[in-house]
Amino acid sequence: MGFQFKYSVVWESVPILLVGVKLTLLLTFFGLFFGFFLGTAAGLGKTSKSRILNKIAGFYIESIRGTPLMVQVMFIYFGLPMALNTRIPPLVAGAVSIALNSGAYIAEIVRGAIQSIDKGQTEAGRSIGLTRFQALLYVIWPQAFKRMIPPWGNQFIISLKDTSLLVVIGVGELTRTGQEIIAVNFRAFEVWTSVALIYLVMTLSISKILIYT
Amino acid sequence: MIKIKELHKSFGSLKVLKGIDLHIKPGEVVVIIGPSGSGKSTLLRCINRLEETTSGTIIVDGYDINDTSTNINFIRSETGMVFQQFNLFPHMTALHNVTLGPVKVRKVSRTKAKKIGMELLNRVGLEDKANAYPDQLSGGQKQRVAIARSLALNPKAMLFDEPTSALDPELVGEVLEVMKTLATEGMTMVVVSHEMGFAREVADRAIFMDDGVIVEENTPETFFTHPQNERTKSFLKMVL
Repeated sequence: MGFQFKYSVVWESVPILLVGVKLTLLLTFFGLFFGFFLGTAAGLGKTSKSRILNKIAGFYIESIRGTPLMVQVMFIYFGLPMALNTRIPPLVAGAVSIALNSGAYIAEIVRGAIQSIDKGQTEAGRSIGLTRFQALLYVIWPQAFKRMIPPWGNQFIISLKDTSLLVVIGVGELTRTGQEIIAVNFRAFEVWTSVALIYLVMTLSISKILIYT
Repeated sequence: MIKIKELHKSFGSLKVLKGIDLHIKPGEVVVIIGPSGSGKSTLLRCINRLEETTSGTIIVDGYDINDTSTNINFIRSETGMVFQQFNLFPHMTALHNVTLGPVKVRKVSRTKAKKIGMELLNRVGLEDKANAYPDQLSGGQKQRVAIARSLALNPKAMLFDEPTSALDPELVGEVLEVMKTLATEGMTMVVVSHEMGFAREVADRAIFMDDGVIVEENTPETFFTHPQNERTKSFLKMVL
């Protein structure tokens, strides 16, 4: 007997998977929201004249970019609580991991965008008497911000997919939900196809929105 | 107004300025010419500390600009700077470019800044372009907005770093016209430029720089008709 694709499995799975989608989106939004602030701070630190800020930002960015997200998730959920003698809810650990991880990449986006603005802009700003901070705020940032939007969208898509790694700490997001359904009905092909298509719908939507910004 | 004493400036091992002494009186218009790499732009940029000096002193309006007690942002607002590449803020309208300084540095109200801004745009002949963005302006218009932006802070002196070098030939005139008016109104001006006509007509003094030193300075008339130094002579022969 050949393999038979059962559409009924898809129709039965999708409503359950959508519950996982909710969590996937929640993790992505929260992760990126805090990642944005973290990344902006680290990105500014990297462009700052202060050596200390520079070093701190550099250490953060390099250590996150240089280690796998999976290890970071494990470290935050299993490692840290052990050392601190507490427990962290999986959802919080997941959001923190996404925030820390995306923050490092967003930092590089921010740094790159700021450094891509012509030096003459800062000089013109300073020459009318603006302080360093004012020149950054009124002259550089608005121009750099525009250039950050496309790479941010890219990071949005990456982080959204990265949440699937949180299965390892038992967060019931989309991928985990798929696994759970398969554990019951053993229809791996139909369920993974559904999961993949749902991810695709989400990422393609982001791409589409980005084109219009 | 501006007193420069024994100014040296090096970029790493490259010595760009090798002992510059220069006094500029209030209301004086000084034109600096010289081959590229002679240090004339660097000299100008040292005057409002866009470049840090290596040694020597620069006094602007009585303030030693390298003294830690001097508020450099204040000094910069007192010396307007006009750049070769205009450096207008592309995300702001012409008017907003001009009002940014008054609002953020001088802390005047927006309404008042707008009034100052419109007056200045009017002065450079661009009041109808107040709401245009820089990329909707021609090079000459951009440079006139840039001049208005500097004037908005009511500076005591203006520094021009090759203000017409990036312009199409037919647009040079409109910028020089604005500068001439400024000069006749008594503005202290230091102009790095190769516009010999402007230098002859407007300048009180012409300076020739080469290899990091002032080689020759004189009234424009004598400077252009009877240059003394060999290097000045050969340079002028090439450009005139």
